[in-house]
Amino acid sequence: MDMNRRLFLGSTGLGFGSLALSSMLRGAEGVSQFAPKAKSVIWLFMRGGVSHMESFDPKPMLNKFAGQSINNTRFKYVQDPARLKKVRVVVVNDANGQQRNKIYPLQIGYKKYGQSGIEVSDWFPHIGSCVDDISVIRSMWTTDDNHGAQVQFHSGRHMLDPRVPTIGAWVNYGLGTLNENLPQFIGMGPRYFDRSDGHYLGPAYDEVRLKIDPNNPLDYAKPEGDITGEEQRLGFGLVNRLNRLNQKNYPNDAALEARIKSYELAYRMQTSVPGVVNFDTETDVTKKLYGFDQKETKPFGQQLLAARRFVERGVRFIQIMHGSGAAGAWDQHSNLKAKHSELAMQVDRPIAGLLKDLKSRGLLDETLVVFATEFGRTPGSQGSNGRDHHPYGFSVWLAGGGIRGGVAHGTTDEIGFHTEEHPHYVTDVHATLLHQLGLEAERMEVPGHKRLEADFGHIIKDIIV
Amino acid sequence: MNRWLIISIYCWVGVAVSVDAADYLSDIKPVLKARCYACHGALKQKAGLRLDTAAAIRKGAKTDVVVVPGKPAESELLARVLSNAPEERMPPEGSLLKPQEVEAIRKWIGAGAPAPEHEEAEADPRDHWAFQVPVKVPLGKGAGNPIDILLEKNRVARSLKTQPLAERSILIRRLYLDLIGLPPTRAQLNDQRPWNEIVDELLKNPQHGERWARHWMDIWRYTDWYGLGKQLRNSQKHIWHWRDWIVESLNDDKGYNRMIQEMIAADELAPEDPEALRATGFLARNYYLFNRTTWLDATIEHTGKALLGLTLNCAKCHDHKYDPISSVDYYRLRAIFEPHQVRLDPVPGVMDFEKDGLPRVFDNHLDIKTYLHQRGDPKNPDKDREITPAVPAILAHFAPEIKPVQLPVYAYAPAARDHVQTTHLASARAAVEATQKELAEARKKAANAPKAQPKPKSSAPEPAPQFAFHDDFGKRNDELWEVIGRGWKFEKGAAHQTAATRDAERLALRQKLPRDFEMTCRYTHTGGSLYRSVTFRFDVTADRKYVNYVYTSAHAPGPKLHVAYTRDGASTYPPDGLVAQPIKIGTPYTLRLAVRGRLVNVWLNDKFQIAYTLPDRKPGGHLELSGFDATVAFDDIQIKSLPADLKLTESKNAAPELKPVGSVETIEAKLDAAKMKVASLEAMFAAEKARGDETAFQKASQLAARRAAEASKAVGEYELKAFATDGKKVKAARAKIANAEKLFAAAKQGKGTFTPLRAAKKSLETPAHKESQYPTVYPATSTGRRTALARWIISPKNPLTARVAVNHVWLRHFGEPLVGSVDDFGLRAKRPVQAELLDYLALDFMESGWSFRHLHRLITTSRAYRLSSSTVKTDSRTLTADPNNFYYWRMNTRRMEAQVVRDSLLQLAGVLDTQMGGPSVNPGDAVRRRSLYFKHSRDQQDKFLKMFNDADHLQCYRRTESIVPQQALALVNGQLAIEMSDLIAKRMEGDDFVELSFELLLGRKPESTERQACLKALDELKAIAKQGGKANPDQRARRGLVHALLNHNDFVSIR
Repeated sequence: MDMNRRLFLGSTGLGFGSLALSSMLRGAEGVSQFAPKAKSVIWLFMRGGVSHMESFDPKPMLNKFAGQSINNTRFKYVQDPARLKKVRVVVVNDANGQQRNKIYPLQIGYKKYGQSGIEVSDWFPHIGSCVDDISVIRSMWTTDDNHGAQVQFHSGRHMLDPRVPTIGAWVNYGLGTLNENLPQFIGMGPRYFDRSDGHYLGPAYDEVRLKIDPNNPLDYAKPEGDITGEEQRLGFGLVNRLNRLNQKNYPNDAALEARIKSYELAYRMQTSVPGVVNFDTETDVTKKLYGFDQKETKPFGQQLLAARRFVERGVRFIQIMHGSGAAGAWDQHSNLKAKHSELAMQVDRPIAGLLKDLKSRGLLDETLVVFATEFGRTPGSQGSNGRDHHPYGFSVWLAGGGIRGGVAHGTTDEIGFHTEEHPHYVTDVHATLLHQLGLEAERMEVPGHKRLEADFGHIIKDIIV
Repeated sequence: MNRWLIISIYCWVGVAVSVDAADYLSDIKPVLKARCYACHGALKQKAGLRLDTAAAIRKGAKTDVVVVPGKPAESELLARVLSNAPEERMPPEGSLLKPQEVEAIRKWIGAGAPAPEHEEAEADPRDHWAFQVPVKVPLGKGAGNPIDILLEKNRVARSLKTQPLAERSILIRRLYLDLIGLPPTRAQLNDQRPWNEIVDELLKNPQHGERWARHWMDIWRYTDWYGLGKQLRNSQKHIWHWRDWIVESLNDDKGYNRMIQEMIAADELAPEDPEALRATGFLARNYYLFNRTTWLDATIEHTGKALLGLTLNCAKCHDHKYDPISSVDYYRLRAIFEPHQVRLDPVPGVMDFEKDGLPRVFDNHLDIKTYLHQRGDPKNPDKDREITPAVPAILAHFAPEIKPVQLPVYAYAPAARDHVQTTHLASARAAVEATQKELAEARKKAANAPKAQPKPKSSAPEPAPQFAFHDDFGKRNDELWEVIGRGWKFEKGAAHQTAATRDAERLALRQKLPRDFEMTCRYTHTGGSLYRSVTFRFDVTADRKYVNYVYTSAHAPGPKLHVAYTRDGASTYPPDGLVAQPIKIGTPYTLRLAVRGRLVNVWLNDKFQIAYTLPDRKPGGHLELSGFDATVAFDDIQIKSLPADLKLTESKNAAPELKPVGSVETIEAKLDAAKMKVASLEAMFAAEKARGDETAFQKASQLAARRAAEASKAVGEYELKAFATDGKKVKAARAKIANAEKLFAAAKQGKGTFTPLRAAKKSLETPAHKESQYPTVYPATSTGRRTALARWIISPKNPLTARVAVNHVWLRHFGEPLVGSVDDFGLRAKRPVQAELLDYLALDFMESGWSFRHLHRLITTSRAYRLSSSTVKTDSRTLTADPNNFYYWRMNTRRMEAQVVRDSLLQLAGVLDTQMGGPSVNPGDAVRRRSLYFKHSRDQQDKFLKMFNDADHLQCYRRTESIVPQQALALVNGQLAIEMSDLIAKRMEGDDFVELSFELLLGRKPESTERQACLKALDELKAIAKQGGKANPDQRARRGLVHALLNHNDFVSIR
């Protein structure tokens, strides 16, 4: 069959991964390059910039030096211009993304959790209780001082560079399907302004957006008109029959074959997807674990429970973003204490619930959970009660899928300004994740689209089992 | 640690194996090519070193040898690739060579650096095929379409046999979809006229321009604007003018060379032609509020890719790694664009740029300097060296000279335009007329009015005596309250309204309140039905037709707090007076209300709720407490004068002050001001018209300045009267008058100046700017840089432009381009298999006056275009020899672009709105316009189109064609497809429904097996409909069949 035609390069996904085509091309195991530790990824992204000092990298020195200008303290060195150079500015002369010099004390306490004794802020007590299953990376850095850093965290490229595929798209590109009835790349929650993942891989590698609504979980999932199920079934049958008959006239037409398969899949999918976001079969105990009993935690909890159900059914990559608005809800230029505590509450219980649920079902070993944000927040205060964007040092964490538990990897300096030990650029998270999935980043390159070394990142070996 | 040590370790562990030239070719040369040739090859020879042949490697650099055969440890080449020191490591960028690569080099040197025989050096990049002017090969004696002659030459050489022509109806469908983007009717499918007549007719159809405009919109990156609220961030508002220019230019068969000149430099070449100026949307589209470098980078990158097939962007941070384009070349191009900015020019009859305006570019900063950004970093410009504007050196030999262009007044002083003057004068005169009417009414009213009564002060600060009132409702007190209604009970320390009613039951305070007051009341909604509101009215007139009020409502679907008002008995509930608030039954609330003049502030339980400005106030009314559909308990109420120093929050709503009928005197002043405005505009416009004649302009300027001063003074006089009671405004009006007098005096002495009308709107250069800081008259010259660039691009000596264009057109007729990388004709693009054809078409295109119509005709009348896309009965040799159809022995099947899918559905259903041009429309299933008119931007894309690989607004030199289940779902379940199926089925007239449907939707008759399948499905669908008790089972079944055929592979395919 003529499989060299260009159209197939871009046709193997649309979040449906290898369903129709790449399984024909690559076999069900896709292009796995060595034995994988993880099968799926749940990617949780807090939009707006979570304060690292008030989440997973507590800094008591901020309390000690509260109110002082950084330049009058022994931490003056952090503002050495040479150390601030990496940042590339998109919005020139913006009011945000500035240096904030007056040290702002921690707005919440923190304590040690678990056997590992890793310190986590009191805004995340439930995640804290899972810390022995988590590797916290406290030494992330990025180069965008504005919310284009969301683009950067997902793609590895700065907002001013050309758009390239996101990590979800690469995973979808690299891995074969485990379930032919479901899309392989699912997105939920408020997306950042760039709504594409595939970019030069093509829209076939974009996330498939889902809503937690069994009646209408995805676009075009059911007839938007007066058509009965039986009519629809007959219609599908006729289309299939006619397309098959047409193969006689176009015997070497791979596109026709692909179209036939895409219809078969579409039919199966429209019945499968609503079932996954229907929680009727889940017990009350499970629902409570995800925070269904509280109105603040329920919306995010539902998305996470759906994520677990997708993982169980073999979906490869589920990206769930939290925090709506143009910049993202976590963007506390002011009122940090009130807003961060409110937002943390929305996610803390559900995320801990997810980790516990995955673990109790034996799924955590093969499911990699990532908790990330685009940058941290300034150790200094902005206005009277906020913190500004901070790309020089921030925290993310990973759990499951062969990631070590109870690890705090890398450090920032005493006031959380710069990375010190083991600095990691955002693509190091990508490299680690791909490694756990059995993929080698460097081998994923498409002709005509040169990838740079920084795009591939480096595996963070210290956090791998 | 020194590097010699490392090398010696390598030497020691190395095992001697024989290495020969073959190993050099397989293990070393590819590494050198990938990592070293960019600086040490044909493109560049840094340090005089070339590494592209073994002989050259052995020869070494200008001053040193780099390889000592047999002695790796003494070879600089090996030392350099082993080093990690920034100043010596090679390659200087990226990762170091991998150990096995280094090892291969070491072994090769150790073996004496054996060279293969006849190794050829990399070709000189200047000799690259695409940098040579195209040449026409002789076609030979045979007659026929040159495309077929040239294709056949290559086929014959490979013994490839073409497929027969496609069935005629399939061909006609192909032609319609390609040329106008809409499917033919059944009558058109059966058109018996000669092929070329049909081609010519379609090429002249205005829908052809729409179809191909969308292709060029892909390539030229058309995008509507996006921003935040009204703030423009990217592209331009009203950029659709450019889209209309594209459509019209194609329909007029304007030469592509002219199109390019207009897109890049219409402001210099046709400065007085707004039609042509629309073309500069090509540049204006790159506007980006936040970052000028990003803006110019996009301009350079996409001018290069779209028009020249050059990846100029690769030379931004360093010299191009593959092509002979240096970083300096890049910044020379930047210097060409550096002076330009974007503005909206006024369009006739429109003064509001939110409604319409013409986006166009112009040279704004004539003397701005360009510097090379070192390593692409805008924070690190090389200020020692100013970069001058120029085209890339490799092709600069035919570049025209840059000559500054003198612009006409029309271009640089938009206020001089007739239509601007007409519009603004008409608007000013209309204001005079309206004021005259107002004056007449006021005079009439004044004549009828009873003798003057003392005027109530409306908004002066009120030095009223301190008012204080308190009631804890311990008992009923009829002296304080007028108790109206039977539901009222006073018990347990509260006033209870026990009847949930809509009647006017209320407690009315007997005392009158001061204008500015503060009320604090504690109360509880105790029950009721539906609205369950508690209302605090003030300013209540005796007839209760005038009220201002605040209420809280425990209405279940939307509990809220709301500021509202009643005028002439009609209540207004302004949306911006509303705060959603979960008011609950049984919870005590404390509502605090502060009123100053028209401004109202409300707090609930000490939490600020809203600031709202009422349209007006009427003093002397009453305060009333009541429930509406609610039972309520009032516990406590305090009212006092509002302290003058208490700061209130300003409101966001600008409720216009209800105009009291002004005094005759005030309106007379207003009329004066309106008349003076007309006179001032007339004088200013006369001055604008005199531009270019210095003496006349000076003279007219003085008059304009005087008139402007007079007009300003008249406005001051009017304001003085109108705002007589507002101290601040009075002061401002006095200042205005004083200033106007000064200006007038200056003008009288011949030293006057006037501010020309702001008749155009320049897009902000950065968010920190304000429009008012930009001059209203623009530079009278333009640098001419872009004109020179455009002329260089369209020069017949430019080897790229025509080739790139015909390649794009070919791609969109055949589904595959002649040169695969449509946006990169640089060194990575190998000479195409069909190079002779490409060159022939490029030259023929230029000779035809760059006529696209000519090119389309040549292509669509070729035999190659009309071949069948089927491989049935293909000669087996052909199929094995060229399965990818590089030699065009058959037609390629293509999938319709997203727009064609949607437009076809509408067209077949007979509901396509064929209106052409105009503002972009919001996407959606209900729209009936052609898809190219949809808004298309970062923030807006049609959902249905997106499923079918709609253009990426950032870059789309070629559409992707994916085949995924969501397309199936969109066509099976989407409203558009369902609705259109129904309409199509209803339109079909004739007996043989199956045959009719096949013809109309797929362009061919059904075969017998297909017919049987359809008939069976029709029967089944009908039976189901009957069983389900559905109306009109016949139509329902027919709809089902049509719907299935719309989902047939060959509906979305162009066969």
